[in-house]
Amino acid sequence: MTWDITGMAAVANIGASPREIFTALCAGRESRTPLRVFDPDKYRAAYAYEIDDRPETGGDIPRRATRWLTTVVRQAVADAGLDEDLSQIPVLVGTTMREQRSLELWWRDNAQVALEDLHFGPALKTAFGASTTYTFANACSATLYALGMATDMIEAGMADTVIVAGTDAATESGFGTLDRVQNDIPTALRPFDTTHKGMLMGEGAAAVVVQRADAGSRSVHARVRGVSMNCDAHHATAPDPDGITRAVLDAYRRAGVRAQDIDLVMLHGSGTPLNDATESSVLRCIFDGAGPGPRMTAIKAMTGHTLGGSGLLSLVMAALAMKEGTVPPVLGLADPIPEAVGLGLVQGSPVFGDLAIAQIDAFGFGGINAVAIVEAAR
Amino acid sequence: MSTEGTARMRNRNVRKVGVTGIGLTLPGVATYGDLLGPLPGERGSVPTALSGRGFRHKDRASRLALRAAEFALHDASLTDADATFTGAADATAVVVSTNLGNAGSVCTTTDTIAGEGVRGLSPLGLPQTSSNVIAGWVAIRYGLRGPNLTICNGVTSGLDALAWARNLIVAGRAEAAVVVGVEPANDVTAKLLGEQSSEAAVAVILEPADAAASRAARPRATITGYARARNLVGALTCAGVAEEESAGLWLGDEAGAGVAPLLAATPRIDLESRLGPLSGALGVLQCAAAAAHFEGGATGNVLAAAGGPRHDAAAVLLLAPSSTTRPSTQEPGERP
Repeated sequence: MTWDITGMAAVANIGASPREIFTALCAGRESRTPLRVFDPDKYRAAYAYEIDDRPETGGDIPRRATRWLTTVVRQAVADAGLDEDLSQIPVLVGTTMREQRSLELWWRDNAQVALEDLHFGPALKTAFGASTTYTFANACSATLYALGMATDMIEAGMADTVIVAGTDAATESGFGTLDRVQNDIPTALRPFDTTHKGMLMGEGAAAVVVQRADAGSRSVHARVRGVSMNCDAHHATAPDPDGITRAVLDAYRRAGVRAQDIDLVMLHGSGTPLNDATESSVLRCIFDGAGPGPRMTAIKAMTGHTLGGSGLLSLVMAALAMKEGTVPPVLGLADPIPEAVGLGLVQGSPVFGDLAIAQIDAFGFGGINAVAIVEAAR
Repeated sequence: MSTEGTARMRNRNVRKVGVTGIGLTLPGVATYGDLLGPLPGERGSVPTALSGRGFRHKDRASRLALRAAEFALHDASLTDADATFTGAADATAVVVSTNLGNAGSVCTTTDTIAGEGVRGLSPLGLPQTSSNVIAGWVAIRYGLRGPNLTICNGVTSGLDALAWARNLIVAGRAEAAVVVGVEPANDVTAKLLGEQSSEAAVAVILEPADAAASRAARPRATITGYARARNLVGALTCAGVAEEESAGLWLGDEAGAGVAPLLAATPRIDLESRLGPLSGALGVLQCAAAAAHFEGGATGNVLAAAGGPRHDAAAVLLLAPSSTTRPSTQEPGERP
């Protein structure tokens, strides 16, 4: 069974649509900016990958993550040629932080924020009349978890169309605690490069419309072949190679593919030494003996870590990469870490080729992993 | 697309999923059997330290959840004498419902940054910057490697969590699920809720009825329907509750009264009017109350409802007695 992706939308620091973001990734110009949202004097980290839509007068405002969410849902629905009335369509939202940034502004600065603003149901009801809405706080694998559950709903006959979306704004508690725990503070997010020092936060949102195959929609961007989801049950914040391996192999099983069928891997690539070493070691094993191996890229080098929505943003970029036959490079990757040597990481400039099947990785705190397999719509 | 609406969280001819274990960490309520009787008027904390091995360096909500999960797994006979999980660890899901779980940590962290800078923060606070911290700790404690889900969906969260746990089982992604509804109580939660609440955690074990039967587990209730919709009437319709059907017990607030003829003559228990705001713990506690109802020998289905006019949606969960639910020699919810 496959599921059609008939609508896509995204916003990030480097663009306000999937096309803009993809073009920027291919152009590969430095995208980090000096930290603006929080008082830079309080942190060792001096850079982030923020969306620059705060008031010019300075300061932060609540509900930015919610605003991006309703924007991308509206655009994805329009892209799919559907009506904006979502009263009969489930909306599954994946997020790491929910509206915790608004909670911080409420607590510190008396911003007008209510308990109900923490999840996204009220905004989706106001904007689209949606009621079958869910906010899944599943860390940085949240949107691929949500995608998997959307395919389950369609397969079980509970829905023919499901919207899957994700959004996150940087939180001070998250940014500050990361600043405290990262030994060496990164000046840029440099996945798989020997200069990588850790992750820097990004901001963004993404949405897709998932439909039962051949639901008669006008156009199909890509087809979901299968999504796995599991938990390491190993460590609260560190990744575990066994859990990630199980997630990758389960995704292959669900999709009915083998390692040698994969043409493109959108890596989780958070830029932390531990993630990069773990993810590349696992993939070296997976693709060992599987021919020349797939091309690989890691978009967080330019978007920063967009947290809950990052998996879906990678998936949207995979859909465009397959359409264009183009894989954007990993910005700043000059000297791959030893564990990544031999992997088909794209360096310097885009590479071109026929891409039929993509693997998307997303791993999160709590040891939760999700891997999606998507095929080109031809 | 179907003209009758596509958002049907209901399906027929699928594996029946039921409750095989229940655990509570709720001040003044010793066992789930007590949920149907008079409940404590005072609100506060669980009178245990929740300290020592297994609880160190964890946030309060995670500790409450771990204790409730411990009781529920024991109740379901899924742990041995050393409290080690004996079920299918690779295929057991954890589904946590919480709205306020890490709200206190988030706010106090910003206070510390403002006062002392990041040097004042503990590195051990990193996990609870993410709202899924509780589900992670429960999985780690018992080695549960199935899907691990955290639902922060407002007042319907607990009912939603039970429905999604059932979905994961029906879809074949899990053979069992530990569903936890948990909320801590602190200055931040009191300010958010506008009143003092009690800390609360409740855990429910869900398993397919056939699997439960094959290991001779004691089924307490079967989930037979669920929907989240614009309002209570819509949710009842989507969940497949027919007008002429009768229910033995309605768990919900008075906002539902009068809108649904079915409910007019049904005995009602509003857990929040007795225990205070339960937020993400509500739905899972309603499920525990339904099990107590069935174990007391009562007939008729239980209809649990949450949300409504003041919220973004209403959700209902239908529970039926399991075919083998019977008044046992044990008191309902008694911890052996």
